[in-house]
Amino acid sequence: MASLELKGVGKAYGRKRVLQDISLTFEPGLTLLVGPSGAGKSTLLRLIATAERPNKGSILWNGSGGRGALRKTLGYAPQAVDLPEDLTAREFAMHIAALKGLNLGQADKQFGAITDAIGLHADINNRIASFSGGMRRRLIFAQAMLGEPQLLALDEPTAELDGETARKLGALIVGRAKAGAIVVMTTHLADELAPSARAVLRVENGQVAPPVARAPESVT
Amino acid sequence: MNAAVITASSLTTSLLRYGRSRALWLMLLVAPLGARYMLPFEDGGGVRIAVGDALPVMTSPFLGVSLGIIVSTLVLPIAWLFLRSNTTRRQPWQVEEVTIGSRVAIALGRFGADALVLLGVLAALNVAGLYLATFMLRGDALNIAELSFAMWVVAGPAVIGVAALRILFDARPLLRSGFGDFGYFCTWMGSLIAPIVTSKSAPSFASNMHDFAGFVRPLTYGAPGPADDFSIGGGFLATGTINLDVMAGLMSPGYLESRLAWIGVALALVVVAGLIYAPHKAKKKAVLAGRLGALLNAGPPPRVVVNAPAAKRAMADAIGLVVSEFRLISSGRVFLILAAAVAVMSAFTDFRHAASPAALLLLLFALSAHAGRSEARGLVALTKVAPFAPMMRRVAFVIAGALWTTLLALPAAAPAVALDVLPLAAASGAIAATVAIVLSTLTGSSFAARLVLLVLWYGYASM
Repeated sequence: MASLELKGVGKAYGRKRVLQDISLTFEPGLTLLVGPSGAGKSTLLRLIATAERPNKGSILWNGSGGRGALRKTLGYAPQAVDLPEDLTAREFAMHIAALKGLNLGQADKQFGAITDAIGLHADINNRIASFSGGMRRRLIFAQAMLGEPQLLALDEPTAELDGETARKLGALIVGRAKAGAIVVMTTHLADELAPSARAVLRVENGQVAPPVARAPESVT
Repeated sequence: MNAAVITASSLTTSLLRYGRSRALWLMLLVAPLGARYMLPFEDGGGVRIAVGDALPVMTSPFLGVSLGIIVSTLVLPIAWLFLRSNTTRRQPWQVEEVTIGSRVAIALGRFGADALVLLGVLAALNVAGLYLATFMLRGDALNIAELSFAMWVVAGPAVIGVAALRILFDARPLLRSGFGDFGYFCTWMGSLIAPIVTSKSAPSFASNMHDFAGFVRPLTYGAPGPADDFSIGGGFLATGTINLDVMAGLMSPGYLESRLAWIGVALALVVVAGLIYAPHKAKKKAVLAGRLGALLNAGPPPRVVVNAPAAKRAMADAIGLVVSEFRLISSGRVFLILAAAVAVMSAFTDFRHAASPAALLLLLFALSAHAGRSEARGLVALTKVAPFAPMMRRVAFVIAGALWTTLLALPAAAPAVALDVLPLAAASGAIAATVAIVLSTLTGSSFAARLVLLVLWYGYASM
């Protein structure tokens, strides 16, 4: 069973301390990060996704501090990505699949299935330049789902989406969590997804409040 | 709103952004250091200027004019590259373009900032020139005024002109793209060739207006005998020295007037840029009908396999990475059509002087485009957490670049089993890809790579 552990993690940008002494253990299932803007949720996700290193403490994936093993099984959807405008969505996704070391033929089929589930499939051969904000958000989400990520770090994947599309994304996310992946995400739809979550963590002033534990049966 | 207020606001905000960017301070540091290499070394190194076959005796005005000429000829592409890739390349046009602010006023403000920054770099070069003069001038007292005057008269209008071209090329959608960089490259080449055509004509305002870089009269007018050929750069043999009266050239009929007129032309270009400014718009997918459309558009998406299983790790994932880079370099069917044309060309023409330059010309745009897009800061933030580190992707990119040039050279190698062309093809592709990825990594965009590769390509094609 996969495990992710944060031990005394702290992060500062210059003199500004964003996260302080965070110790948490994530187990398979969906964990929601909630809290006000600027509380440090996205920074926490970036640290989990190894996009940044903590100034203090350590992050252990299956008991190991090395980043290589974590990255082999990571799916990361940051809030904003400079998407290559002149590529089609499919070309971009295959670029990410290659960087993940995936079989490109299989990844192409999986990308088709994911985009079909979230209503993007009809546009995957179109250039990203023609995409709306919501389509870009779905593309960023779809690339994170490629392969079989055991750790998903998702930063507001449902922002800019209408309610129905957001629910479709939510279903895929919950499905991945039920399949045994550790899913950590921030979302403005926390109330809707909370019943499916193993834990809801409140991030405030750079610290994480004790998790609101949920009964296993509440994990749908 | 008052146009003067808009201009002042555009000027000050642009200057603030420049002031907070490391690139400006790097330029101000590099310019004086580079000055040493813009002047002839005693051992024959550095950039040399010869009139006829002789090197002019080093004097204060000649030292100044040397710096000025090298800036207005060889260094201008670097200035262009700096302006197009610096911190002000991103503007809040989504908000800006829906205001009632005058585009001319905004353009003038931004032009002012760009011009001031380049003139600041010129000032740093001037200080370096004065310092170097204390070592290089023998038997001739340092004349600060003549040295500075000579440098500014030649280089000042040229850098102001580049700043104006930057604003002009930002005004139209087509010129904002790589086509604009290619357009600048052609303009720059034209500015070097045009004055040579009129170098034999009598000095006048009209003939000097062909000389944007301003190097003809200072090198020819004050020569002791007839002098209508000159060399700037290196790699030529020079015998002896001549006494060149540079100040006579600078004060020759119509020269100063032409330099001032070029500044006026620059200002006019900025006003034109404001008048012809076309708003940005989201790029739409090019939809072409008929057979051409079927050929150029990607077509409908593939059939969905609804329950497609998750992709597994590839057996040879490194090869998959190279394949991915190879495909992305050739993104778009237009590239593939042109590549096929180059491959056919390589079977029937001289490989070194026709097919290889053609292949590199095609690839330099493709390589810089893919390197730029994959090194965009906001994308690297995502791709750096992939199992393949960015450095591995860069290596795969260089291999893919070499594979492309090798592939295009195969028809040249096949008929006579001329396998010697393949190492040249592979090496040229690898070098071009390395230049593209290094510059794109440093700048986070494709601008620098594209322009530098164009300049290098010109050298390769004309050798």
